[in-house]
Amino acid sequence: MKKTDPGAMLTCSSRRTFIRELSVLTFALATAPLPALGAPSTISSAKNTWAMLVDIRRCIGCQACTISCFQENAMPEGCFRTLVAAYSIRLSEQPGMQPAGTYLLPRLCNHCDKPACVSVCPTGATFKREDGIVVVNNRRCVGCAYCIQACPYDARFINPATNTTDKCTFCVHRIQAGLLPACVETCVGGARIFGDANDQNSQLRQKLRQYQGQIRVLQPQMNTTPNVYYIGLDERFQGKVEGMPALWSPQRSEGASHTGMKGA
Amino acid sequence: MKLSRREIIAACGLAAGAAGLSGTVGKIVRECASSDKAEGDKISGLAPEPEFVVDKETGDVSLNPGQQVSYTVCMGCTTLCGVRVRADKATGKILRVAGNPYNPLSAARPLAMETSVKKSFAALSRFQDMGLDGRATACGRGNAIMEYMDSPLRVLKPLKRSGPRNSGRWQEISFEQLIKELTTGGNLFNEGHVQGLAELRDLQTPLDENAPEFGPKVNQVGVLSSVNEGREALAVRFWNQAYGTQNFARHGAYCGGSYRSGSGALFGDLRRMPHGKPDISNAEFVIFIGTAPGNAGNPFKRTGNLVAGARSEGELEYVVVDPVLTNADNRACNDRSRWVPIRPGTDGALIMGMIRWMLENNRVNIAYLSCPNQDVAKRSGEPSFTSASWLVITADGHARCGRYLRGSDIGIGIPDDKRYSGADPYMALDANGQLVIAAAAVNPAQILPLQMPVQYIPQGEDKQPVDIADMKLKTALQLLHEAAFRHSLDEYSDACGIPKDIITGLARKFTDHGRKASAVAHGGMMSGNGFYNAYGVVTLNALIGNVNWKGGFVMNGGPFKDVGNGPQYNLTSFEGQVKPRGMPIGRNVAFERTSEFKRTKAEGKPYPARDAWFPNAPALSTEWLPAMLRGYPYSLKALILWICNPLYGVPGLSALVKQDLADPKKIPLIVSVDTMINESNAFADYIVPDSLMYECWGWIEPWNGVPTKTMSARWPVIEPKMAKTPEGRPISMETFVIALAKAMDLPGFGPKGLTDAQGNHVSLECPEDWYFRGGANIAFMGQKPIGDATEEDLHYSGVHRMREALESKLKPDEWRKVAFLYTRGGRFQPADQAQDQSMPDWQTNRFNRVLWIWNENVGSSLNSLSGARFWGCAQWLPPGFADGSAMRKHYPEKEWPMLLVSFKSPLHNACSIATSLGVLRPDNPMLLHPRDAAEYGLSIGDIMKVITPGGTVQGKVIVHSGVMRGVVGIEHGYGHKELGVRQHVINGIARPCRLDLPAGININDIGLTDPSRGNQAVWVDGIAGSAVRNGLPAKIARA
Repeated sequence: MKKTDPGAMLTCSSRRTFIRELSVLTFALATAPLPALGAPSTISSAKNTWAMLVDIRRCIGCQACTISCFQENAMPEGCFRTLVAAYSIRLSEQPGMQPAGTYLLPRLCNHCDKPACVSVCPTGATFKREDGIVVVNNRRCVGCAYCIQACPYDARFINPATNTTDKCTFCVHRIQAGLLPACVETCVGGARIFGDANDQNSQLRQKLRQYQGQIRVLQPQMNTTPNVYYIGLDERFQGKVEGMPALWSPQRSEGASHTGMKGA
Repeated sequence: MKLSRREIIAACGLAAGAAGLSGTVGKIVRECASSDKAEGDKISGLAPEPEFVVDKETGDVSLNPGQQVSYTVCMGCTTLCGVRVRADKATGKILRVAGNPYNPLSAARPLAMETSVKKSFAALSRFQDMGLDGRATACGRGNAIMEYMDSPLRVLKPLKRSGPRNSGRWQEISFEQLIKELTTGGNLFNEGHVQGLAELRDLQTPLDENAPEFGPKVNQVGVLSSVNEGREALAVRFWNQAYGTQNFARHGAYCGGSYRSGSGALFGDLRRMPHGKPDISNAEFVIFIGTAPGNAGNPFKRTGNLVAGARSEGELEYVVVDPVLTNADNRACNDRSRWVPIRPGTDGALIMGMIRWMLENNRVNIAYLSCPNQDVAKRSGEPSFTSASWLVITADGHARCGRYLRGSDIGIGIPDDKRYSGADPYMALDANGQLVIAAAAVNPAQILPLQMPVQYIPQGEDKQPVDIADMKLKTALQLLHEAAFRHSLDEYSDACGIPKDIITGLARKFTDHGRKASAVAHGGMMSGNGFYNAYGVVTLNALIGNVNWKGGFVMNGGPFKDVGNGPQYNLTSFEGQVKPRGMPIGRNVAFERTSEFKRTKAEGKPYPARDAWFPNAPALSTEWLPAMLRGYPYSLKALILWICNPLYGVPGLSALVKQDLADPKKIPLIVSVDTMINESNAFADYIVPDSLMYECWGWIEPWNGVPTKTMSARWPVIEPKMAKTPEGRPISMETFVIALAKAMDLPGFGPKGLTDAQGNHVSLECPEDWYFRGGANIAFMGQKPIGDATEEDLHYSGVHRMREALESKLKPDEWRKVAFLYTRGGRFQPADQAQDQSMPDWQTNRFNRVLWIWNENVGSSLNSLSGARFWGCAQWLPPGFADGSAMRKHYPEKEWPMLLVSFKSPLHNACSIATSLGVLRPDNPMLLHPRDAAEYGLSIGDIMKVITPGGTVQGKVIVHSGVMRGVVGIEHGYGHKELGVRQHVINGIARPCRLDLPAGININDIGLTDPSRGNQAVWVDGIAGSAVRNGLPAKIARA
């Protein structure tokens, strides 16, 4: 079975086998600066390259993004293209030290420049548009789920209503209408910034410049070159998050690696 | 026979497999609606076409002719944010909801009202990146709650019970039958005669001859509501002013009542309970105690947004003191946010420890506290002042012990009828040790005098000195000082479980930022000493003098008022208006004013009263049901429940009253006005449908946290789903009371129900009559009326739907202005006017009265059970019961080692479980600290049994360090027994029910009754009368 971050799966789930919004982790967060990205590494020759910057410091975990995406895209019950994974982290057992903290991580398709999902698609249903958005043609998709296995971000799932692969489209139908993706429009903390990475004057580019050295992406070692960037992304959350799934399906914790709340 | 989900879905002609997951209402409706199950677009699937298109070069907006976008107000929680609702015109279905960009509750940088509606849409778009900074949002709940609009669980037609009370069997009846039966009564249920509302409206006959102070019989009709969600003024007009009952109470006593009461004590009004909020955008340091910014609270989004911005790109550092770790913490901000765990119900120990340290280390603002009045304060550059220097009589035997010394107490000439009124001055001690009139002082006064004079020496040669030694005068600050020094820092630390150096560190940090620090609390104060804990939190602010300062503790901007005697219409008073009289059923008056007291006093044993009285509390919905069912102070003949759910929300209430509530002999008539069947109105005899969210009217003032004047407009942006009255109007609270008024011929309603500013009669026969005229008052308020809505505004906002009604109900110069309000979703003072233009470091809307370090109303009241005097300022008092006995005396730690705490969900309110939010967070495992878990041999996923003196529940446990040791944390919003959980049968047909909804537990099901009140009432704070749900004693075990 694929080892899965219990908080990260974007999926359709029944209440029985469920996304776990809160996971318990047991390490202190690193505060030392790490090698980080500057601006997008490749600027496409296309007119636009759509990208998102998530300022985690501003996320309040209200799931407005999750639900607005669900409503906007008329998703079937329990299917979410984006969500905020919430982690409770054990920090210190020293008296007087903060014992635990909350870490929030909005997740969605990373619309990679080198998408792992595209090359494995046997029908060409999954492809990357000129403007950088990775999409699935639901007429061509046969639901083989290779792309779901290939995606290092757990961003894809089978939509039970269509039996085809489903994922975030950056609300391409809204972008084409001159609007913002639903999740961005309604982000209460103002954490999600969406824009054109080709436009030097866009707020996205300005923020990427302003926070140069602090910008990170998820799973950098996978060399997928994502177009979703983060401020405040701790290195421990860049890869698979190893923790103990805590809510709603503790019996399924076998799949995740325990880092030991038991006996603590 | 129960109808399963599978059957509901099958009834829609869909394969059960397609919904084999969990089929919420949203899914069922969506799939029923799209019978051909279209695949939609090959890339975007079933996503509907966007609501409008914004040209990326010009910013020009083209509407989607099939959709309507309107600005109105959410009702997903009590914040009542301004939202934009996107509806499909053909079906009336709501497609999505986001924020109103004009409204400060939804937008960080609200648009100027002059901006046209069309331009407001461009401001939300990608055009020039405007939609990023101009973002106007709805939260997760605000997005999900729209699913209720189409819920098959809604009540849309009047229901009358067709079986015994709470049998779940109903008959739909016509509106005419409803009104006739309710007004005239009769043998309505074949259970004997039931008095109707007309007969019960006896404004003359005392309801109890032996207690005329209870008022007339009409007071035996009582109305429980929830919050003023924008329509309360009309309900109050009907029930209090036209019908004439005294009894109307909201849900505050079982919401955040303790905090409001504690705040009301400092701000000097224990009925209206003013309160402040941190000015988050300009603050440097804030302590949140029992309230979690961005996790929950009111205003939820605005607080979350401001905290998110200030902690990442502003100056803010903050600490959340809470037994439970929540989303208020954010580790990506490192030490900008901190969580300090605390034992439930011990905030007072932390605060008094801080105050003690501040007093010992010269960290209170002595110069500020020494200002005895506003003028001296202003001259010292202070925008507020306190009673710290005012003198209090503390001599035990003195008749006015606990009261402030007044001029008349020492011979300053005051007419007898003005004694102890506002004209009777408060006294302070000047620098020379002389008593002076506080209001007349021109210099700072002493606040911690080393010596109190023994005489008052009046000015004027013929005046004799007055001996004051036996009054044992002390300044208010001396009394606070005494309270703080009753315990050592070690004792405070032991009590609250916070290390001493954290207490002193918090105090140091709190006093390191001048006026740019503040402390605030809220629902976390609902413990058995919540009043004093809360009074302590707000007192911290007074001690550093931050009230009214930019960056400090600031007041709400207030509304543009719809009701009142406004510039266009008088919506307050009318001919034949009743002035309700008599004591309210919640006993929030002094026992000493009752006939019972006269009798017991004459018998030589004035105390205890038969049960507790709460002279310093507001209307107490916590006390209502036990009071009316026991008939103390009196019983009710009819109970009206308007969108409220005390049986779910009041800890310990359901178990205490549900048997009696099912007995029609106890309360002969129960009428509910509501949108759903909940745990409380399941006991109703009749349910009247009410409007829901975007079909609903209202003028809504922010509850707090918006420093500029704000009034949000709610209007039916789609056709309401409720059945219609004979006049063709949707049945709702408004059309219900209008029809009752007509049937009983009550004043203030009907063809001549209202008057305009010139005194001409106008009608009050439909909701538009009321809300449009309220709108006219709002539009014309202030120096200059607002502008007119253009044809373009009307078209773009969907307000053209109401054009005919607006034109016919309003005067020619009014209707476009009222339309302007609806097109923008309200009236909003520009956000840059939060601070005073002439004093930019002060807020514009300031609290101008004294801040009471000692509250004399509290400090002079006696406990009606023990006869003991209450202490009048902040103090540390362990949680206790109404007679003053400590909770641990009744329920010792040895037997009940754990404490339960309720915490607010970042997602759910008390009724949002039946939406797609329920899928995200389907139940609420109880939080347990790893050490406690180890002690009890519990691990994640185990089923734990929780036993309190009030009952037993069991549920899953989750183990992590995000909870205080010795505490079980229980998230609110779960454990429902109604709202679709139970099967109701209407007209013999089983209604849908939801097998997944009862998931989780409700802490209120195991709330306590008060052993010092014979367990005949629920556990409430002895002063505030507010429910206790934090710090419930418990034992736990593996189930």
